[in-house]
Amino acid sequence: MPVAAVLEPYVYEGGVHKHGLIIELLEDLGGYLVQSTPAATEINLVMLIPRKDVPLMEELAKKILGKLTRAPLTGTEIAVVSPTLAYHHLPHSACDVAEHLRRDGANTNMLGLARGMGRRVALSQDYERRLINEHDIAVYSFGNFSDCIINKKPKLFSGVDVPIVATGSPALKTEDVKGADVYVGGIGRVSHRLRNEGEMDSLDVLNKTVGEVVDKMREEISRDPLAVLPARVMKEIKEQVPEINDVLSPAPITLQLDGMRVKLPFGQFHEKMEQLELDENISLSDVANIMPSKMKDYILIKIRRRSETGFTV
Amino acid sequence: MATLEKFVVETTVEEEAPPYRKIVSDIISDLGMAGRIAKIKVVIRPEDSLFQLAAVVRGVLPQVILKDFAEIQKGDHEGEILIKISVEKHLPRLLQMLWDRYGRDSLEQPDRWTISLFVDNPEEEIGSLENLVVDDPRRTLKSNLADMAIRVAPEGFRVRHHSLNGNDFIFVASEDTMQKEWIDEAHTMLEELKGDDASGSSA
Repeated sequence: MPVAAVLEPYVYEGGVHKHGLIIELLEDLGGYLVQSTPAATEINLVMLIPRKDVPLMEELAKKILGKLTRAPLTGTEIAVVSPTLAYHHLPHSACDVAEHLRRDGANTNMLGLARGMGRRVALSQDYERRLINEHDIAVYSFGNFSDCIINKKPKLFSGVDVPIVATGSPALKTEDVKGADVYVGGIGRVSHRLRNEGEMDSLDVLNKTVGEVVDKMREEISRDPLAVLPARVMKEIKEQVPEINDVLSPAPITLQLDGMRVKLPFGQFHEKMEQLELDENISLSDVANIMPSKMKDYILIKIRRRSETGFTV
Repeated sequence: MATLEKFVVETTVEEEAPPYRKIVSDIISDLGMAGRIAKIKVVIRPEDSLFQLAAVVRGVLPQVILKDFAEIQKGDHEGEILIKISVEKHLPRLLQMLWDRYGRDSLEQPDRWTISLFVDNPEEEIGSLENLVVDDPRRTLKSNLADMAIRVAPEGFRVRHHSLNGNDFIFVASEDTMQKEWIDEAHTMLEELKGDDASGSSA
């Protein structure tokens, strides 16, 4: 059964006061808390709620004066790839793109290539390509010239297996940008924060486009479902590996469409992950590949499909 | 940005000029240079990996020397020189220069307007201190202009040529070997910019 058919992704934004009620209700309903981000007296809760119970949650959110909004990109980890980390590309527009994607629930990582700038000289490294491939989707943030985007920059896509969304200023067709799954115009190189009406519209289009790509990927997964839901594994890790609660990163477990990144050292914790009990006589290593991540010394978990394991948990 | 007399940005594809014009104007504003530049023209030919910029800057202020804003005299103690400043904005730069020259131990600041300096031969030092160049707006402008041009140009274009001749500034950048005709074109752009007949704004 497709993940999206059972659980709906939502973000709760409200005060810290009484937000525990939301978490309690979520647990009672059998939903999952994906991420909790407190900021002074406010809190953001990213959740997966059983579809039929969403009205219950909405009712409670309203009662405690919070806001519940749908966040279609929840449970995805997106790489926002910028040609370099120089001030030509950052913080605007690449960071603005990442921030806007996060508003819809995505976890984003900014990835600046070492030598991605220029035309003839632009190139990506093997390590960078492997790092990008650990994500669900790669969003490339390009500049203002159609000649560069059409003729020169697509070489940065080579070796990237995950779906690619390219952004740039000119209004081009997707088929003009070879190697990109989708192209979104109106978001090119700028030196100011993207906040004008047209710019915000383009960011909304980008979120919508990325959402469509995610929907397609979910649909593809639903044809041959994962042996266990990533959110379920996340819950088990939180219960069985208490050290995860000491990790200070905003998302100690970052969900992906077909797995997750666990921000604990691989050497010390991979055995605990392998032995994680999901059901009687079923441990995580039976249904998932547990490997070292290219990002720091984190653990990358990719869940196998039902066709491979022969069962679902 | 209203103070610019002429502001032209040209690209091969006409529609791509306005976004680039916005980049140029944002960077000029960020660096606080809107009042210093009178005219500017930028031409970008992405297919040739070429970026050219010509600008005419406004008249540059003269150098600031120490005796312009300070009174320098012998102090009461042996080897002491008293510097009494009247303009505080030059103080950080002046202090840095004095620290570099005499060391931090030789300096005292009894109050914000006074610096007392201890040296071996005060008479000679007073003479040289009076003509100490504390601020050179021309040099600052040159580095600011180069900074602006590098920020405006596409990042990958790292083969660069720049020159500031009087009030005329040109900057050419590419990722390929620099060609003389590109620099000549930039000089022509500059002449057009200085001439009365404007070649039209693309934005």
